[in-house]
Amino acid sequence: MCLDDQILNTYLDGELAEPFKSQVEEHLGYCNACRERYQKLQNLKKTIDDAVLSDEDIASRQENVMKMIENTCFKRKKIPFFKRQLRINLPAFATVAAAFVFVFVGSIVYINKESNAFIPANVDNPIDESNVNLVNEKSQKTIDDYSLEEIINSLDKRGYTVDLKLKSVEPVKFEE
Amino acid sequence: MEMRSGDEAAFRQVYEQVFPVIMKVAFHVTYNLDVSEDICQDAFVRFFDKNMVFETLDDAKFWLIRVTKNLAINQIKRKARETASLEKLKQVTPTSSYKDGASELLFQESTESVRKAVAQLPEKYKTVIVLKEYAGLDYQQISKVLSISESNVKVRVHRARKELEAILRREDS
Repeated sequence: MCLDDQILNTYLDGELAEPFKSQVEEHLGYCNACRERYQKLQNLKKTIDDAVLSDEDIASRQENVMKMIENTCFKRKKIPFFKRQLRINLPAFATVAAAFVFVFVGSIVYINKESNAFIPANVDNPIDESNVNLVNEKSQKTIDDYSLEEIINSLDKRGYTVDLKLKSVEPVKFEE
Repeated sequence: MEMRSGDEAAFRQVYEQVFPVIMKVAFHVTYNLDVSEDICQDAFVRFFDKNMVFETLDDAKFWLIRVTKNLAINQIKRKARETASLEKLKQVTPTSSYKDGASELLFQESTESVRKAVAQLPEKYKTVIVLKEYAGLDYQQISKVLSISESNVKVRVHRARKELEAILRREDS
């Protein structure tokens, strides 16, 4: 039985495993028809192979592509973080800086204002300007604000008789 | 040995070895040198930018071949929508390794007819024959690149050659 083209092609490509390879070689040794067909396939393969792109054409293109890769890929290779060039967008940077200063100063003012409020322990309402009355700003005077002489004069004017006694001092009694 | 595609030294090593292979793949799928150069450039830029880790050089090579093959196929599909296939074949750049006029003409005719025949193959056969004949991969490597079984590769290589033979015979007659 003769060999089919698929087996001959596989043999031609050196891909036929043993024992089939030896069997094919043996068959080709005595079968003229198969040997002739095998030679035709060999010629066909050679014709196809000969149409390959020439090394000269490849070499020039290889050089071109490498130059392009050197100028693009290799140059934009990743740079370590600390070696990177710092590029800043000036308007954006100024805006961010202004916003930061505004927030920073504002927060300091607010914190200082809050810390002025003195809150004693066990006191519900903190003491601040609204609920503290300074002594010199009192609207009404109390009895402590007047001297003894002023009090006596005031009472005398109103028709009261005032009898003054000092504690721990016995009144002097004169014998008649 | 493990390698990283974003590492310049490793990249250069892969580039030296793999560029000729992927250039052949791109060219024999598109049959346009300028387009092939762009495709190879695109593939290598992706390779570098992705900064992937490959266990072996072969793994990196298979990744690049796969990407190049896909880019090239996308390119010819796009091109096919724009121009007729014969227009593409006119752009084939003949090689000039023959000095004798008669034999050079014969070589060019033969080369051009083979390229024309390869260009006419269905995509799945074309891919396999390009990887086999021009990228120099074996069945196992092709199966890895295309994610198909080895027996499937064997069948496709056989059918691709059969179809090429038929096309070339038709052109001769």
